[in-house]
Amino acid sequence: MKKYFVIALLAVVALTTSCKGWLTEEPVMSQSTELTLSDYDGLNKAVGGAYTPLCDGTWYGAFYVLDAEMRAGNARIPANTEFTSGRMMVPYYMTYEPSATSGLWTYAYYLISCTNNVLDVIDNRINDLLTGSVTQQDIDNLKAEALALRALAHFDLLRLYGRTDGSNGEFGVCLITTPQLPTDMPARATVAQTFESIINDLTTAESLMAPGYVRGGVADTKATITPNVIKALLARVYLYNKNWQKAADYATAIINSNEYTLWTADEYTSVWGKEVAGKGGEVIFEVYGKQANAYDEYWEGPSHMTNPVGYADCAASSALTSLFDAGDVRGTTGVRGKDDGNVMFATDAAQASNTLWTMKYMGKGEGNATTTPDVNNVIVLRLSEMYLIRAEAILNGASVAGATALSDINAIRANRNAAALTSASKQDVAKERILELNFEGHLWFDLDRTGSTLSYADGTVTRELDANSKFWALPIPKSQIDLNENLKQNPGYGV
Amino acid sequence: MKKTRFVLTCLLLAVSSVLFAQNIQVRGTVTDASTGEPVPFAAVQIQGTTTGTATDANGVYTITAPSKATLVFSSMGYQTQSVAIEGRAVVNCILAVDSEFLDDVIVVGYGTTRREAKTGAVATVSSEEIAQVPATSVDKMLAGKMAGVTISSEYGQPGSNSQIRIRGTSSINAGNEPLWVVDGIPVMSGDQGYFTNSTNAIGAINPNDIESLTVLKDAAAASIYGSRAANGVILVTTKSGKAGKASFSARAKYGVTTIANDNNFSVMNAQELYDFYSAAATNAGKTIGDYYSPSVLDGPMTDWFHDLFRVGKMQEYEINAQAGTDKSKFYSSLSYSDTEGVAYATHYKRLTGRINSDYKLTSNLEIGTRVNLAYTENRDTEMQSLYYSNPFFAGLSIRPWTPMKDENGEWNVNIPENSNTNPMFVALAHGEDQWEKQFRTQAAMFLQWEPVKNLVIKTNNMFETTFGQGVRYWGPDPGDTEGVLQGSRSQYLQLTTSNTVTYTMDFDDHNIRLLAGQEAMRRTYEGMYGYAPTVDAKIPYFSTSIASESQIEDWFNARTMLSFFGNVDYNYANKYFVSASIREDGSSLFGAKNKWGTFWSAAASWNISNEEFLSDSKWLSLLKLRASYGVNGNNNISAYQSYAVYSSAAYNGANGMMPTRPSNETLSWEKNKTWNIGLDFAFLNNRISGQVDVYDRLTTDMLLDKQVPATSGFTSNFMNIGSMRNRGVEFQLEGDVIRTRDFNWTLGFNMAINRSKVLDLGDDEWMASSYDSRLRHVVGREFYSFYLRDYYGVDPTNGEALWRATDPEHPDDDSYYLLTNDFSKSRYIYAGSPEAKLTGGFNTSISYKGLSLSAFFEFKTGNYVYVGEMRYLNADGNQMTMNQVSSAANYWKEPGDTGVNPKPIAGNATNSYNISSTRWMQKGDYLRIKDVTISYNLPEKLLKSINMKGIRLYVSALNPYTFHDVYWWDPERGEEGMGFGIYPQTKSYAGGIEISF
Repeated sequence: MKKYFVIALLAVVALTTSCKGWLTEEPVMSQSTELTLSDYDGLNKAVGGAYTPLCDGTWYGAFYVLDAEMRAGNARIPANTEFTSGRMMVPYYMTYEPSATSGLWTYAYYLISCTNNVLDVIDNRINDLLTGSVTQQDIDNLKAEALALRALAHFDLLRLYGRTDGSNGEFGVCLITTPQLPTDMPARATVAQTFESIINDLTTAESLMAPGYVRGGVADTKATITPNVIKALLARVYLYNKNWQKAADYATAIINSNEYTLWTADEYTSVWGKEVAGKGGEVIFEVYGKQANAYDEYWEGPSHMTNPVGYADCAASSALTSLFDAGDVRGTTGVRGKDDGNVMFATDAAQASNTLWTMKYMGKGEGNATTTPDVNNVIVLRLSEMYLIRAEAILNGASVAGATALSDINAIRANRNAAALTSASKQDVAKERILELNFEGHLWFDLDRTGSTLSYADGTVTRELDANSKFWALPIPKSQIDLNENLKQNPGYGV
Repeated sequence: MKKTRFVLTCLLLAVSSVLFAQNIQVRGTVTDASTGEPVPFAAVQIQGTTTGTATDANGVYTITAPSKATLVFSSMGYQTQSVAIEGRAVVNCILAVDSEFLDDVIVVGYGTTRREAKTGAVATVSSEEIAQVPATSVDKMLAGKMAGVTISSEYGQPGSNSQIRIRGTSSINAGNEPLWVVDGIPVMSGDQGYFTNSTNAIGAINPNDIESLTVLKDAAAASIYGSRAANGVILVTTKSGKAGKASFSARAKYGVTTIANDNNFSVMNAQELYDFYSAAATNAGKTIGDYYSPSVLDGPMTDWFHDLFRVGKMQEYEINAQAGTDKSKFYSSLSYSDTEGVAYATHYKRLTGRINSDYKLTSNLEIGTRVNLAYTENRDTEMQSLYYSNPFFAGLSIRPWTPMKDENGEWNVNIPENSNTNPMFVALAHGEDQWEKQFRTQAAMFLQWEPVKNLVIKTNNMFETTFGQGVRYWGPDPGDTEGVLQGSRSQYLQLTTSNTVTYTMDFDDHNIRLLAGQEAMRRTYEGMYGYAPTVDAKIPYFSTSIASESQIEDWFNARTMLSFFGNVDYNYANKYFVSASIREDGSSLFGAKNKWGTFWSAAASWNISNEEFLSDSKWLSLLKLRASYGVNGNNNISAYQSYAVYSSAAYNGANGMMPTRPSNETLSWEKNKTWNIGLDFAFLNNRISGQVDVYDRLTTDMLLDKQVPATSGFTSNFMNIGSMRNRGVEFQLEGDVIRTRDFNWTLGFNMAINRSKVLDLGDDEWMASSYDSRLRHVVGREFYSFYLRDYYGVDPTNGEALWRATDPEHPDDDSYYLLTNDFSKSRYIYAGSPEAKLTGGFNTSISYKGLSLSAFFEFKTGNYVYVGEMRYLNADGNQMTMNQVSSAANYWKEPGDTGVNPKPIAGNATNSYNISSTRWMQKGDYLRIKDVTISYNLPEKLLKSINMKGIRLYVSALNPYTFHDVYWWDPERGEEGMGFGIYPQTKSYAGGIEISF
């Protein structure tokens, strides 16, 4: 009897020791994270995929930009139109609360995790990657792209959920620079730490990326991170951080790069809605819109939201459209369908209302309002902004040989059929930013970073925000506060 | 058990007879008392000695014995009998059947047990109970047969899959189907098809090949199957040859299937519809002339409601043979069945072949093989849901004045109300094709060795495959020449090895059985899918496709398991029974840190009737108390869930990759913790018997998507967090009302009450069901709750729909409400559940000599079904182009009318017909006459003269009538009680003949 038990026992031991391999079945069709991140090709694709959250509706896919315009008063829900979808009630009526706020938090951190997965491998397993014809520079380019995307995500989070005017300095955003576990409960960094991390990522990226690097295989070379994108983003970040000299220097680097030219007054009304941004022109970085993108907002993209026969939620306010001097090409008005490509604001085709709509998102012509919505590229950085950054920096004490605030503003105005100014104050720069950059998502954040107040009335809403209003920092989604015990809500929104 | 061993001993010692003085040669025949047939291989022993022999295949024995000795005759299944030789040379013996013994042995996990010794909750069905029903698969035949086992189906289509729930539904994201174990090996089950509505892997087993079927319901019975046992286990044992005379039989069955309609479900005729539209037009301030000309009533009408369906023919033929000696046994069968559905495009064919053989290599070494081969063919069209080719919706919605055929005699395809789709054109003329052909193999071989007495070592190994081939072809639209072809090839391969050691020990009144075992399994699923949008309609194969437009996809996944298990059964004097089992399962499905899980159970039972104080009782045959507790698991999730995965992400004209799932190293089984208390009883010499069971089944560590901080890069993670409970009572009673030689009458009854309750959903108070968001899982409520707008009824004052709205003074109390005509103000309520509160069945069987009648009834009560189709078919004028159900004509006509439909308004936009309102909920209770069979066995005397063993003639009906109140063909809508345009259950009538030699 005993010997059978011994044999059985031995058999069991033998089976147990050999079972580790037996019980491991790895996915072979979908790609495991491990496999994806095991070589240069996989990492390259992982960086390419990391752009996709930018197309989400909470970000450049529509509402990061349009909601900001709505809050700042450049945009309004039209009063006398038959239909609006109701998608922009919260920013218009400023009814933000933790359960009704921007969902950027989720998508920005998704992008950040995409980049951290890549950076983690590059930092820790570099030797596995340098095989075949892959060079250190190839890896550095990927790393630079990932760092710049991570910086952009942290920066956009900070602008939305934090304050950049120097108040509430303890409420920066969570700085995520390593791959996280679901159980990790990060706390918010200070605003200063957030800026430091963003600038650190961008300057590292700048030093790593080869001059002239452009991601291969893309449709629109202006929709990827290039050395100039990093510099332009640094100019903007330094401006927000009030490092005036560096803001001016980086803006100058772009202006003097000879790769971009200011659109002329003739060009200005027809440059929007192009499939790809061509060489020259103003576009430094844009987010590429296409239905084939993994993320596409379809009916909720900016083309449909700003289309009077689309969802028709986001019209231009008269406060904005009345700002333009006669002749300024940026304030030209017409009729949608008739004056497309010739004006910057248009009423609906039937002219049923006097409401004007921006034509910056008139679409690429790949759809129509009733069957398939159109798509649009959303410009993030362009040359005019660089002139305006430099002008503002100079007025705040920066100095650049051969440049003045007045000459920078007038360089733009000269190309817009607008009369040259004779002097340039900070207020002039601020106004010029509205005239030039309206509906591109700037005004709200400009008001915040400069500690301004907002006073706005359009007949339906009256908005008076002082510089200390809680709304300058939008609430973090309640679910995220509930899930992370270390995450503190912005002041004024309850616990 | 003792008896069995005794027989074995006799056989072993048969050769070594010892000679006595005054011995004489005795011979004789041992026969069966009831049939008169010889009993082969019966043991014949000289009383008080170890000397003995056995009868041969013809029941004849010869033995040399003292002339004054007494011979003891015994055989399994018979009462042992002693006969004194008294100097005779011929001693015949008639053995009486041991009625207790007949159903004494039941199959349980990794072995058998006596019914008396069971400690867990099990239910059994014998081959007689399932073989006659005119259904094509065994799962369909089980409905209502066992307490706590519910069988339902969303598809009444032949060859479709069933939903089997043993003691309720226990899981949201892991499966709810039981584990099927065929001849000791867990096998694949469920829908393995690709394009067709449904296929059924278990359908590849010919029901006539099944000897017995056991359902393991509680943890004590099922835990030995560990991580796959949470939803119960169904053990199928197929037939083996029997020692004795060889027999051969042939069966033929022919029958018809018709659509069921036992609740006067109908649609409007032309005049009714015209009148309805007229009223709708008037109510909208228009006239009927704005919609229809009266001339629509002139032409010939088409009865779409009937003409889209047919009487389906079914036929089934089978031959089988079996034979056996003391050394070898075999059973084999070959069958063909062909069933047409009531919808023209539906068809199911099946061929099966089985060989079961057993061979004793030596006195202690036995091998056996179980091989089943099957070919199945399912055909249908795209007829789920609201496909226009679905006759179960088109037959209701196409207007009566729309002709079936055009003036040229071709199928009319000018049917704007049905997107110009004629289901008959699709089914018969369009050349559309949708099918799945499957080739199924189950091949197992076991080797059983008894190296020393009472120690049995067994290894059982199976390979199982399904090769499936599917096609979906859309013929060209009229005038076009190119069709769209899709095709699939899929292969499942499952390899299993199951190895056990069993040791039994009896001393004094102690009986011990020890079992230790090991099992390993690997299953792969791979396949390929092809798509060609332009193939030549004359040659609709991939070879005529245009390469640049065609696409191909393939897939592969694998899962493995490794298990170790053990079981101890002990009983003392057949009074006190204790058993315990433990199983360690390792699985590739789960996270690296949780690959292994432990499952166990402990159970005890007390056979009170064997206590001395009751042993004299004349009226009490059995009284037994059982109690058990155990933990088992549910690993029914898709492969690789624990691995982090990237998937492709297009951006900016290039292909990137982005992470789609985080890794989850702690992903583990759902656990089911069940306790069960049961009482078995039998009275009056077992003429009345039954059992009662009470159980509580707690599911913990439910696999749910848990919300996680977005800073991790993901918003949710598939984790083990939720819990829910099923509690219930089951009752089963059987009685032999009359038990005589010629006349027998039996009655049986079973019922089960089950209540489910969701206890915890992690961070959520409710989750929408993945089946349909109108069904929710809500903490504190049943597993499924309908979440719907609260419809009050018609407003008697104005004929509009009235809705209940939340009373702002009592927002949390549903009994307070305000009434409104404004749909947008209507509140949502939890309106009931599709789960039945009470399920069960009863049966009766009467036999007189060769004639017998049996009937089986099934019932379900307390459940709701949602007939969402009414949103279109009773649409209050919203649909001015579709036909309407007859009941829609009962609408509000004047102030004061109540309990009717709201008034029809042409182009109605009031949402009175909204797809998410309680208006379309109906009580789903039913009482179904499940099957009725009349059979006649020709008298044996007559048969003997023509040298036949038996001729049996029968007629049988499946679902001949159902009592229900659901305004649809049939009340069943699957476990979820919803469905849309579903293929209802149908009625079948069949007659057959069975002859055996």
